[in-house]
Amino acid sequence: MTTIQLRKIDKYYGSVHVVKDLNLEIADREFLVLLGPSGCGKTTTMRMIAGLEHPSAGEIAFDGDRINELGPQDRDVAMVFQNYGLYPHMNVTQNIAYPLKLRGVPVAERQRRVNEAAARVELTPYLARMPRELSGGQRQRVALARSIVRQPKVFLMDEPLSNLDAKLRVVARAQIKHLTQELGVTTVYVTHDQIEAMTLASRVAVMQDGEIRQIGTPEQIYNDPADTFVASFIGSPAMNLLSVQADAHGRCTCDGRPLAVTAPAPGAWTLGVRCEDLRLCSAEESAFSTEVYTFELLGDCTMATALVDGRMLAVKAGKDTRLKTGAPMHLAVDPDRLYWFDAGSGLRHR
Amino acid sequence: MQASSTVAQSSIPGYRTPLQERVLQALRQALVLAGISSIVLPILWMMLTAFKLPRDVYSLDSALVFTPTLENLVTIFQHPWNLGSKALNSVLVASGTVLLAVPMATLAAYAFSRLEFRFKKALFLTVIASQFIPGAVVVLPYFLMFKELGMLDTRSALVLINLSIVLPYAVWMIKGFIDAVPIEMEESAMVDGAQRWRVLWEIVVPVALPGIITAAVFSFTLTWNEFLFALILGKQDALTLPLGLIGFRTERGDLWELMAAGGLLITAPMFLLSLLVHRQFIGSLTAGAVR
Repeated sequence: MTTIQLRKIDKYYGSVHVVKDLNLEIADREFLVLLGPSGCGKTTTMRMIAGLEHPSAGEIAFDGDRINELGPQDRDVAMVFQNYGLYPHMNVTQNIAYPLKLRGVPVAERQRRVNEAAARVELTPYLARMPRELSGGQRQRVALARSIVRQPKVFLMDEPLSNLDAKLRVVARAQIKHLTQELGVTTVYVTHDQIEAMTLASRVAVMQDGEIRQIGTPEQIYNDPADTFVASFIGSPAMNLLSVQADAHGRCTCDGRPLAVTAPAPGAWTLGVRCEDLRLCSAEESAFSTEVYTFELLGDCTMATALVDGRMLAVKAGKDTRLKTGAPMHLAVDPDRLYWFDAGSGLRHR
Repeated sequence: MQASSTVAQSSIPGYRTPLQERVLQALRQALVLAGISSIVLPILWMMLTAFKLPRDVYSLDSALVFTPTLENLVTIFQHPWNLGSKALNSVLVASGTVLLAVPMATLAAYAFSRLEFRFKKALFLTVIASQFIPGAVVVLPYFLMFKELGMLDTRSALVLINLSIVLPYAVWMIKGFIDAVPIEMEESAMVDGAQRWRVLWEIVVPVALPGIITAAVFSFTLTWNEFLFALILGKQDALTLPLGLIGFRTERGDLWELMAAGGLLITAPMFLLSLLVHRQFIGSLTAGAVR
């Protein structure tokens, strides 16, 4: 039962302001993902929760009790590092048992819990091996086992899957999701991979330049982005963003071509639309016409891309669709599926 | 076709014909051989001379072929040479220095590597710079200091003075190895619940052990071979092996065969030590190259 509170957190490295007035409440048993590009302050935020960095200002609390002054040893958190942080001179058993050894758990009990944790992540056959004799995926599981061998207040995971290949990542992701749900421990997970964020999180905090741009469930972040940054960061491919000019009647043009949608007000806008919300259609019902820049087969679907105003405009189409490069492409769109952003600030118009 | 390709090849800058290549190769090998000989031959000469009778030392006929004797190795332990007590002094001084230097250097190196404190850079530079002061410059202050303390001709004085010589080297060497220990390993241990002392003892030291052993061997060698301070501070009780060698320059001339036997006594432990730690040493030199 642990809640985490971050109140008015600032972090400076010299004159660089890496985390800016950050406020965050993490509920008990919640799986919160800090998502953002590198350098956005997400890892620093996690390291401050772990006690490995100290905030320049603000307060960190577990269950309402301030823990700023506690070292990482005394916060009862478990952390999985990006490169696992295994102890190279200890075998797998010793690695997993180390947190228990530090807590003076008797040897027999230690062994029992190591076996249990190892079984959970399918490491039992490798207990006697040294870390250097393990594959990347196995090392990652040792790090995971070491963090679950005791019941910490909080799990912290710093891009734990980033060193794995794509296939293994999917398996490990499922494993992490299953484990954290089963153990019911509050988890903070840092990643720059939006798919990890979408699949794992109960809530996602999207960060940029040391600030949280939006926080919400994966559905909210995906379907209701607060600004162009969030919209373009979430989704694969990212949301299409078009620079649009609207006249006094709200009639729009894009890249000098008419665009049959109505803007909320005259002026410059950034129009967002997801690739799956665009539909290939005939010239008559078209809202916007352009030419095919590239066409890709993805197996279960196809992806047509146009180059509009220097930006890629991706359109998801049926698996049997075939288009040639340079061919005309007519697009229809549901007005309810359009996102209007202020062209200057990038903020969503609601 | 062939002619044109030869022309093309020889016009490439730096191109050499096979003959030129072979001559160059031979020259290179000769150079390397000369280099190795300049190091190995004196040692070989010393090892042979240690087993020669005085009459064989200067004779070219018996340079390589002679009747070996163990007499020299016995004589050097007898009166008036008494290399036995000097060897004991050397062992005690070198071991004492290493036993003190390694833990101290490890702690200092860890602090310089991982902790943030004021004047850290300046302090570290001072430690390194202290090595550039020639021993001869400070030997007089040391002499006066130990005289005041009543520590002249004691092994403790030699340990202290050697400590001042080897510590900076050891700190610098071990710091390099601790720098190479990934910080995540330490952070991981701290999050697991380890206080800094345990992190240092259970994580950093074992991982940096090859480097620490290297530093220990280096310190031992440095102390074992130290001559100047032992000469100035020692008189009778705290003489070390290198000083023992001067004794063989007598009014009767230089007793080369005894000096060589003494030399053997000095170098043999170093040889054994280097054999013992050879693997560790090589490992530590390449550690961190590939992870």
